[in-house]
Amino acid sequence: MSTSEIKSPVSEAASVETPLLELRDVTKRFGGLAAVQDVSLRIMPGEIISIIGPNGAGKTTVFNLITGIYRVTTGEILLGGQTLAGLSPDRIVRRGITRTFQNIRLFNNMTVLENVLVGYHTRLRATVLGALFRPPHVRREEEEAREKALKLLGFFGPELVARQDEYVLNLSYAEKRRVEIARALAAQPKLLLLDEPTAGMNEAETLDAVKYVRRLRDELGVTILLIEHKLAVTMGISDRIAVLDYGKKIAEDLPEVIRRDERVIAAYLGRPTSVDEEQVSAE
Amino acid sequence: MSASSPWSLDRSTRALLWKWGLVLLVPVLVYTFLWQGDSVVNAAFLGLANPNNSTYAVATPGNMVQALIFSALFYLLVTALSGYLLAVDSGRHSFAPVWVDVVLYAVVPILLIALTNDLVIGIALSAVAWGAYFLVRAIARRRFNRFPPAVAPADPPAPIANAELRRRAIFGSVSFGVVLALIWIVVDIVFYVSGVFPSLLLLTILLPVRTVLLVVGSYFMGHFAARVAQNFTVEAYARRNKRREAKGLKALRPQRAQLTPNDNPLRSSGARVIFMAALLAFVLLYPALDSFLFSYGTGGRLAGYGDAGYYVILALGLNIVVGFAGLLDLGYVAFFAIGAYAWAIVGSSQFGQLFNIFLSNSVASGLFWPMLLGAALLAAFFGVVLGLPTLRLRGDYLAIVTLGFGEIVPIVALNLRQITNGANGLVGVHSPGFFGLAWNVTTPVPYYYLILALIGFTIFAAIRLRDSRLGRAWVAIREDEIAAASSGINLRNTKLLAFGAGAFFSGFAGAYHGAKLGVISPDVFSYGDSIIFLAMVVIGGLGSIPGVIVGALAVYSLYVLILGQLDTMAAVPHTFMYNFHTTIIHIIPGFTFGNIRNLTFGVLLILIMIFRPEGLIPSARRKRELHENLDEQEPDVLGSLDVTFADPAFEAEVRVE
Repeated sequence: MSTSEIKSPVSEAASVETPLLELRDVTKRFGGLAAVQDVSLRIMPGEIISIIGPNGAGKTTVFNLITGIYRVTTGEILLGGQTLAGLSPDRIVRRGITRTFQNIRLFNNMTVLENVLVGYHTRLRATVLGALFRPPHVRREEEEAREKALKLLGFFGPELVARQDEYVLNLSYAEKRRVEIARALAAQPKLLLLDEPTAGMNEAETLDAVKYVRRLRDELGVTILLIEHKLAVTMGISDRIAVLDYGKKIAEDLPEVIRRDERVIAAYLGRPTSVDEEQVSAE
Repeated sequence: MSASSPWSLDRSTRALLWKWGLVLLVPVLVYTFLWQGDSVVNAAFLGLANPNNSTYAVATPGNMVQALIFSALFYLLVTALSGYLLAVDSGRHSFAPVWVDVVLYAVVPILLIALTNDLVIGIALSAVAWGAYFLVRAIARRRFNRFPPAVAPADPPAPIANAELRRRAIFGSVSFGVVLALIWIVVDIVFYVSGVFPSLLLLTILLPVRTVLLVVGSYFMGHFAARVAQNFTVEAYARRNKRREAKGLKALRPQRAQLTPNDNPLRSSGARVIFMAALLAFVLLYPALDSFLFSYGTGGRLAGYGDAGYYVILALGLNIVVGFAGLLDLGYVAFFAIGAYAWAIVGSSQFGQLFNIFLSNSVASGLFWPMLLGAALLAAFFGVVLGLPTLRLRGDYLAIVTLGFGEIVPIVALNLRQITNGANGLVGVHSPGFFGLAWNVTTPVPYYYLILALIGFTIFAAIRLRDSRLGRAWVAIREDEIAAASSGINLRNTKLLAFGAGAFFSGFAGAYHGAKLGVISPDVFSYGDSIIFLAMVVIGGLGSIPGVIVGALAVYSLYVLILGQLDTMAAVPHTFMYNFHTTIIHIIPGFTFGNIRNLTFGVLLILIMIFRPEGLIPSARRKRELHENLDEQEPDVLGSLDVTFADPAFEAEVRVE
């Protein structure tokens, strides 16, 4: 199946010099707690970057900040050199960032195809009158959207195309993940944020997920930022890895360097102080 | 029947003929002989044949012609349905579910309408009967812990050749037509011999004409049925797709459930075409039919149906807000009031006093048509304005704020005396005028067609909106706001659009109500009405357009016609209700049915919600939500009425702007 039509033209045109996404000293406080503190990150077009870190390190918060679900307390987030400050989540989608969620957030009572079509929302133009009287251009864009949606589902193999009219409720966990990614791709993003794309998957499914994440970049030209818990996965697919701990970026480097970084090992295996604290609170 | 060509049938086709012949014959015979089917034909025919006979003065010649046209259409469509069912049935399903369908949705309503002698009350009681059936079924299922097997078998049905399809369709139609004609002849002769029959004229002219029409007509209807059936075959889709390809359009995918042969043909798309044709013929010709079906009181009934009609529009409008977008709106009556006042101000002497422009009556009446749109747009505007402050709210909080609007608007109308004339309201609101003809209370027929047209437009718009980009966005917001926003849906605009679209239709209803009633005052619009509108939507089935229509009719007649008039009924001596009432009064002095009207209604609502939470005719979506994921580990968001809140910090941070 040819996927060239769904290739995002924007990512190819983007200059290599300016980063696609840049986080400048981003901080997010919830009351007194700094969930994310002075995090900076630069993502070049065409890269696959991973964010890793222990539970509660602020990884998902970073995603929520980038996608506009949370407001940045201080600092700045830029997409292609333009600030995203104050933009609502849907505006940010229009700028070219889409995402998936850690605990899959599909529209369970919509069909597979309808879910992906919702992803096309920003690409369709029908107004109320257009929806009512369905002039030829509205008819055409609806049909084109359906066609493209099927092509996107085809990217993940023929199974989802065959199950397009099923309610997502009936899909397996791995299939739901794929539909969620297809929905995110439908808006033709420059940058795709994947929040633990292999969570809850078995080994074979994980392997499959790793393959298609790489194909997303290679065939569709989408830049990818992902959160991942399975170190083997991140090491395998990332160009660079950023490590968060207690809301701070403690390291950012090539996978092989990160693998040996002492701070990272400490963060993952635990430090004596944090273990003590947990024991105290448990008592 | 000889074994030579077109009528040579294999066993399975013959079995299907028995199945569908019996299934269709029962409701048709019930309509024809237990209710008024044959009387309509006979009376209309005799009336036309004896124009000076005062016995038939209940109807005008025009009505008689229309009644005959309806009867012809009805019986021919039934023969077509028989042919269609025979042609497309895969024969893999047994009698029982089909019988339940037909008895429940055809025989019971016809009998109840015939018994109560009122269309809407009959439908309402049918809805109660359906509710009772669902209740019994739910209890039975729980008791025996048995669920019916899945309907659609995995393998698609074997295709059927076009020639065979046509042969079966024609055979089915003609056999049904012939059997019906024969039964009718026998019954007529029995009537004649027993002396019930009024005229030899019927026997000598009507009977042969009717028989020939039925037999010949059924042959052509067989061709029509074959056409309909062939539209839903794989080859038909291939042909259509070739044409679409030439136009550069995407190929259509037939759903397995729609294909011929079909496992559940009574609910297939083709059968729906025939049902819709019959329903359309019925509602369009109804004013002419009424006097035949229910004898006297046509005017009052038609006027009553007009009221039921604006409830249908209101329920369909509210369904957009609550059913599609999942925004619980308890103040919908506000927009109804705004629509009503919009026309009442323009269409009464108030307009002259406000703007010092005095219009002649005919001009003022003619203004109704542009103001119909004007009232709807004004209501939509206020829908958006009142929606603005609620954008950040959801679930219970949204409901409470909208509740406030439902109170505020009538109070504003009460106190804005210069414009709305305060508590006295606006009197002398003009009826619509058409080419210089003003309508009035004694001519309910134009109102009937007006409300029919408005309902038609509302249904059309609701379906189109539902199946569009906007409809998908509404459902997405209902399912998960955060995921919707992250898919590029602008929460603010989409929600406001839902409020606006919902309010738009209430503007229609309001303008219609104002024009028909002639008087608009603040006390016409109460908080209770909002709840009634919501009950219509929920009982019918949130998000389901046919469900909401039935829900509106059922709730309207249960609450307004039946429960509201029990006291009047009990006042007539020597009736069942009278005796019942006097018995209760012995036990509870001072009892009136009015006292327990809301209690009875409430109990009914609770029963329906316990045993049929998805409503009478649920949308496919909602049925899944409430039944099929019972064994899933995580509960799903059930829309506005049952919002599950995620992590509060997370939710609170979701910004709309």
